[in-house]
Amino acid sequence: MAVAVSKGLARVKEIYQDRPRRVKELKAQGKKVIGYQCVYPTLEMLTAFDLVPYRILGDMQEPITKADACLPTVVCPFIRSCLDLGLKGRYDFLDGVVFSHVCDVGEKTAHIWRIYLSPAYCHFIDVPHTTHKAALEQLKEQLKEFRKTLEELTGKKLNEAKFREAIEAHNRQRALVQALYELRKPDPPLITGTETIQVLMALMSLPVEEGTQLLEEVLAEVKERKPPAKKMARVLLWGSIIDNVALVEMIESLDANIVIDDTCVGTRAYFGHVARTDDPLDGLVDYYLVQIKCPRTFRETNTGALKKDYYTDLENRFGYLKEYAEQWHANGVILQSMKYCDIHGYEVPSMKDYLDHVGLPNVYLEHDYNKSALAPLRTRVQAFLEVIG
Amino acid sequence: MTKVVIVDDAGQVVSRVISYTGAEHRHLANKVMEEALAQANVPFADLTYIVATGYGRLNVPFADRQITELTCHARGVFSFCPTVKTAIDIGGQDAKGMKISNGRLLDFVMNDKCAAGTGRFLEVIAETLGFTLDDLGEVSLKSTQKISISSICTVFAQQEVVSRLSEGIAVSDIVAGIHDAIASRVARMVQRLKVEPEVVFTGGVARNIGVVKALEDNLGMKVFIPGNPSLTGALGAALLGKELVHKAAARGEILPTKERRLGEATFFQTVGNQ
Repeated sequence: MAVAVSKGLARVKEIYQDRPRRVKELKAQGKKVIGYQCVYPTLEMLTAFDLVPYRILGDMQEPITKADACLPTVVCPFIRSCLDLGLKGRYDFLDGVVFSHVCDVGEKTAHIWRIYLSPAYCHFIDVPHTTHKAALEQLKEQLKEFRKTLEELTGKKLNEAKFREAIEAHNRQRALVQALYELRKPDPPLITGTETIQVLMALMSLPVEEGTQLLEEVLAEVKERKPPAKKMARVLLWGSIIDNVALVEMIESLDANIVIDDTCVGTRAYFGHVARTDDPLDGLVDYYLVQIKCPRTFRETNTGALKKDYYTDLENRFGYLKEYAEQWHANGVILQSMKYCDIHGYEVPSMKDYLDHVGLPNVYLEHDYNKSALAPLRTRVQAFLEVIG
Repeated sequence: MTKVVIVDDAGQVVSRVISYTGAEHRHLANKVMEEALAQANVPFADLTYIVATGYGRLNVPFADRQITELTCHARGVFSFCPTVKTAIDIGGQDAKGMKISNGRLLDFVMNDKCAAGTGRFLEVIAETLGFTLDDLGEVSLKSTQKISISSICTVFAQQEVVSRLSEGIAVSDIVAGIHDAIASRVARMVQRLKVEPEVVFTGGVARNIGVVKALEDNLGMKVFIPGNPSLTGALGAALLGKELVHKAAARGEILPTKERRLGEATFFQTVGNQ
């Protein structure tokens, strides 16, 4: 008997509420599901081996009770939450996990995950932290090793044609996410920031083709429906991972719509394109290391030059944010970072300098990845909106 | 603390009330409003517009609009110092720095996550030393050699005070050290805004002459204290409310308002309350 399956945004909401449900079904049908942390593990490679990539995320509504026994409390609460869920058995359905050197806490947690959770397959990709030529070569070597471990896991060689197909499949999905973001350019935007996060989190919980199909449904639905209310502020949201709608919902409950973001359940995960190269790995290396703009990667102008102009350097590092603001007509920037996120925290002073320099009003929020502690942030956001209003 | 300021059409204060907040926000809003109305000798229905601000701004059942304390403070400070560029407010539970131009808020910084650098810090220390909050300022003026408090955390700073007492250090030197600790912490936060004169210092802590002097030392400039430093936010809210009404009138509009009724809206069920 056929069961009625919901579509589009309704399905997105269902998946957002219960992320692993679909991959558990696929697992029951014999598929293998591989969890990955952050946006750096090569999803195309997993897809090419017929493995289902599933992003490991935290849960800001679940108190951290187990992770504190094996991680210091003064580190990234998102990663503590991920590990906590792992220790509580919430990721037991995974057939393996892939970590990468995104930040130091991510790296240390890879060890701890391996030790405490003994996954059947566990791999760590040492992603370098610059975009220098030597770094690109190093990442390419790392991807070859990753491929080797996946060949061992699946007992088959990587099929070149399937690999290229997988790259195209992920490119197609990225292009459609970019198309969805186009719908946020009108005023009012056709889709809210809250809904966008839910869509992207659903994509990170499904095999690529299934996700793309859902995305096509969402695009069609959003184009047809009545747009949400027009608000005073159009906000660019920057910062560390947001994997729960609470913060964005709070901002959008005020007189503001988030119209564009620079976060990793956001543009960072979908705004690039893997070029077709003779060796597919070259295109992947360029996408993952050069195109993804996370502050975990060190970028500078004129490598090797003795003198650097401050604002030229800032333009090189943050110029894309000005472009986002222009293209999406943002009139304010909310910078946010969770407590103890070094890579984002260090970025904030220069980023504020840059935004002030180009005349983009901005406010910085630090939060502790906790839904119940949003009230003080609400005051800051509301005051910021009073400043720019 | 919960405060009410009522201004007349010309922006003159006709009533001001300050009271302890306690747990029943909504109940208290009614009580202080009643008091303020009695003081001004006007019926509730005569209030044209009501703006609520601060942490409890969403819990004032009869408010017509909520505006954050940052914008309200900026407006309140401007009303008695039109040349103000920087305002520093240290209250019981937070500390704020504001950049202001012509009464408009331009930028701000806030600490509301940690008791250190707020009035709460002074309360804890005053209690440890057996003083009232109001005594501290005068005591610190007798200091000849202020000590340096190295702990940032309120709890550890309190322990540090106790151990300094047992070393025989003069109480006035300890209190002066405490004032310097809070002032330097707030100054460092506010300096992110690039402090420019005139600087106005408000909030309950501005009544403490010791902190005022320590803040001036830390900033390297003079700070001005209004007559009623605890009421700046409420005054700003009242003035902003008046301006909203005037602006609407200029457009030929009347702003929608809530029913002027002091209901029995309470957060918690009170036993025996009929």
